[in-house]
Amino acid sequence: MQALQELARKLLTDKTANVVIGWGQGPRGPRPIFVTQPEHADRLIFDTRCVHNLATYLNPRRAHLVPFVKKAVVVKPCDARAVAGLIRETQVKREDVVLIGMRCGGVVRDSDMDGKLTEATVSPRCMDCPDREPKLADHLMGEEASAPPKGKGPDMIAKLDAMSPAERWEFWQKELERCVRCHACREVCPMCFCDRCIADKSMPQWIESSPHPRGNLSWQMTRVMHMAGRCVGCGECTRACPVDIPLGLILRKMTQTVEERFGYRVSDDPTVPAPMGAYRLDDKQEFIL
Amino acid sequence: MAAKTSTDKASFKPRIAAFVCNWCTYTGADLAGTSRLQMAPNVRIIRLPCTGRIDPLFIIKAFERGADGVIVSGCHPADCHYTSGNYHARRRFAVARDVFGFMGIDPKRITFSWVSASEGGKWAEVVNDTTARVQELGPFSAYREMEARV
Amino acid sequence: MSRIGVFVCHCGENIGRTVDCAAVAQACGELPGVVHSIDYKYMCSDPGQALVKQAVAEHKLDGVVVAACSPHMHEKTFRKTVANAGINRFLCEMANVREHCSWIHEDREEATQKAIDLTRFIVEKIKHNVPLEPIKIPVTRRALVIGGGIAGIQAALDIADGGCEVVLVEKEPSIGGHMSQLSETFPTLDCSQCILTPRMVEVYQHPRIKLMAYAEVDKVEGYIGNFTVTVRQKARGVNASLCNGCGECQKVCPNKKIASEFDAGLGKRPAIYVPFPQAVPNIPVIDRANCALYKGRARNAKKDACKKCEEVCGRKAIDFDQQDTFLTEKVGAIVVATGYQLYNIKKEQDKEAISGYGEYGYGTIPDVIDGLQFERLASASGPTGGKILRPSDGKEPKTVVFLQCIGSRDPAKGIDYCSKICCMYIAKHTMLYHHKVHGGQAIVFFMDIRAGGKGYDEFTRRAIEENDALYVRGRVSKMYRDGDVIKVLGFDTLSGEPMHIDADMVVLATAMRPQPGIESLAQKLSVSYDRFGFINEAHPKLRPVETNTAGVYVAGACQAPRDIPDAVAMASATASKILGLFSASELEREPLVAQVDQGTCAGCFHCVRVCPYGAVEHFEVKDRKGNLIKTVAQVNKGVCQGCGTCQANCPSKSVELQGFTDQQIFAAINAF
Repeated sequence: MQALQELARKLLTDKTANVVIGWGQGPRGPRPIFVTQPEHADRLIFDTRCVHNLATYLNPRRAHLVPFVKKAVVVKPCDARAVAGLIRETQVKREDVVLIGMRCGGVVRDSDMDGKLTEATVSPRCMDCPDREPKLADHLMGEEASAPPKGKGPDMIAKLDAMSPAERWEFWQKELERCVRCHACREVCPMCFCDRCIADKSMPQWIESSPHPRGNLSWQMTRVMHMAGRCVGCGECTRACPVDIPLGLILRKMTQTVEERFGYRVSDDPTVPAPMGAYRLDDKQEFIL
Repeated sequence: MAAKTSTDKASFKPRIAAFVCNWCTYTGADLAGTSRLQMAPNVRIIRLPCTGRIDPLFIIKAFERGADGVIVSGCHPADCHYTSGNYHARRRFAVARDVFGFMGIDPKRITFSWVSASEGGKWAEVVNDTTARVQELGPFSAYREMEARV
Repeated sequence: MSRIGVFVCHCGENIGRTVDCAAVAQACGELPGVVHSIDYKYMCSDPGQALVKQAVAEHKLDGVVVAACSPHMHEKTFRKTVANAGINRFLCEMANVREHCSWIHEDREEATQKAIDLTRFIVEKIKHNVPLEPIKIPVTRRALVIGGGIAGIQAALDIADGGCEVVLVEKEPSIGGHMSQLSETFPTLDCSQCILTPRMVEVYQHPRIKLMAYAEVDKVEGYIGNFTVTVRQKARGVNASLCNGCGECQKVCPNKKIASEFDAGLGKRPAIYVPFPQAVPNIPVIDRANCALYKGRARNAKKDACKKCEEVCGRKAIDFDQQDTFLTEKVGAIVVATGYQLYNIKKEQDKEAISGYGEYGYGTIPDVIDGLQFERLASASGPTGGKILRPSDGKEPKTVVFLQCIGSRDPAKGIDYCSKICCMYIAKHTMLYHHKVHGGQAIVFFMDIRAGGKGYDEFTRRAIEENDALYVRGRVSKMYRDGDVIKVLGFDTLSGEPMHIDADMVVLATAMRPQPGIESLAQKLSVSYDRFGFINEAHPKLRPVETNTAGVYVAGACQAPRDIPDAVAMASATASKILGLFSASELEREPLVAQVDQGTCAGCFHCVRVCPYGAVEHFEVKDRKGNLIKTVAQVNKGVCQGCGTCQANCPSKSVELQGFTDQQIFAAINAF
């Protein structure tokens, strides 16, 4: 923690960065903070409750942060994958960001929990995460991390895969009927950076905008299609959802498909091209007549 | 505009939307016509320049509008009029098929095929097979009935 | 509110027999926005078209839907009709109720319902059609030809003779290509150089041809009519404007032991050289890898090792410090004529899919040569002065075995195709051998004799019947050196007998492959190529010399194995295409291209990645003071071919393909 604060102070003092985006103590656990003064660097903290994906704040849609230009961000491995995604898709220039990488052995489900990492408290996002340290980082901090505890509970993907289509339909209808179309899943997503989201497009209106099961289903299917080969698996959409729809489940299913079919796993190397928008002549096509 | 579909399986007439590319499948369907190949009358073709232009949104919207089944068809690999539109489509629909299936849309309701301009016979098969398959599955009323859940 | 007219055609009985056309017209007449809906016996006939025209005027239509045959049949017809009636032709669309309905269904009720549906989709779609004007593109009436072999020479001369300027880029020091290495050509046995060199000189002297030898295409930007090409002029080490080609430098060069590329490795050349005496341009090149001076400089030697050429040059043309230069050329069309290389049977191959011939010793047996090497032996200008002498000891070979299909037609070696010319040149080789080595025996192992072409079969017959070539149908399974001879173990599949031959020399008709580096050139030009590296033509039958990129054409053996007449014919065809393109100062293109909404584009550039044509570019949006606001995508209308793949991949739907916009497709699906 001290090393982190010292580095932040140095970056701000020598103007390598005009803002350090990190976590600070809030009323209900850690929350994102923006440190612009070297003397405030001691407000930065990092522990297993630092769940937020701070790459979201590099998203050019966050207009209030754009004027800082040079930004330092504290990143976990999943956050670093998002930064790499933003670089890959020309939203962020590599030279404009300083990445302070934190070694990570998993985080808890939400920031207001106590920080003890157990089978019961580990965030679902950490279960598939192979990265213990962000390779893209300019500075690496924290102790060597071991793999996060395996989460408890049934493998929901396998459970759903075993169902009939009608049962799956019923499952998702029950989940999606709670959706209020607040679009928090989109707002929190570091990879959702369109100036005008398809869900807000009205001419034509592909996705019905009212909280209605039909539009809700279209919205989630479309969102997942847009995340294909891009989702960094940070699980922020699931955490942000006020009605607890297991959105990460669909994304994980999609991620599995992308990995199985195209041998691609989202990494924090921005030079590796994304699988969608590319092709191989011998891509599997067993589903095509 | 969707006609009220009876849930009675015997009298059920599937409504199937087909999104096809202009150069291969549309022309293949033309050939089926010139060859007078009789086929099920349930499929309505919407012409696009290339499978590359076909968005998964089209499939979603077709189901929303009352389709019981959807066909997506274009040029065989290496035959794309635009050289690579079909390869991009192949990746796109490989993912879409899994995602849609995971959300409960029976993959059997969606047919993907490569039909070249010379495969009128294959087009007739695709149309007949898809119609028979969707006939067997029954109407996709779940999608239309979503309104009733609120 | 739209004012749409629906015109339902009976097509005689073709549609009317199964579809109740009057019912279709009536049903469509009730659709919102439709102000006029009729059916008629033959809509494409003169009176039918007159009905459309009349209705456009009378009802002030802003959309015309013709429910008839396939748009592939009559879309042009009806679009012309509405244009004549005074509305934009893109406000006319067709519903296909013949091929896709009446011809494939028998049930009248079902077919009628389907015809109504199909027409309704189009009615809803056309409400979102907008008038479109053809795109006009200025054309630079100047062509680039890549490759100075016979195909490139022919293309350049034809275009230049047609009155347009040509830039001819050749990567070797001289133009002439492989044809300049040949001794005599089939099926006439005329001397290759005798017919080629006058054409080379013609290129050199042509007022409209700019020849850039020893140069390579570095970068290609732009699109049909408007390419900007960067050419790398490689440093010769010789100032071309001073050199008069006297050749003194070559005489004094102390290193004369370098294997000559022109002689296919059988002859020698100095480090400063012209590839062959008739080279065009006749200006030497210093081979830096073999020149003592450059080798010394590479080792940071204190003193230059040798400057003999500079000392002897009366014109002071030697320039050791010359660097590569980059020149920018603006052209309107490009011909790719990069030709071929021969496959070698070595163990190491440049492609993973291709393997060598272990059974023939991977090219380590002396006196096993390839076809081009035999050409050099047989050529009067060759290293042996035209005498057939084997390379190892200079003896005259009394038994020569020729093997066809080496690599070719052998998927196990990674080359599935027939190289086309080998049957003919092997027949020619046996003849040349017969003429030059009296009492010599030529034995040819072949799989099939493919002698399709004018005078070709007669030619191979002559080789067999009058020139005593022994043709054996079969393959050679193994060869190895045994003392002075090469043991060739084969099998005659016609007699069923094994064949063991003691050969003095073996000639392999190795496969034709595209030039190394063809893939990277193809990528620069955004043209596609097959898995062997041959450039793909736009259509194998009807557009054989065009590529999938407008304005880029292909000639000769870079497209597939070709003989000289084929290559020349293709070259002339490209010239004809290009002169056609250049006949007007502006090019008209269909306006069905993509367009970016720069207001909503987020600049993720998925579109750039998927575009098969490289038509999407980055565009910087700036404020009045010139500050960059954002970088967005922009479609080059000259390059876009209208596939719409960009649109399906655009997450925010900020790119629209004209003619198939989201509004149009959405409306059609919504009518489902």
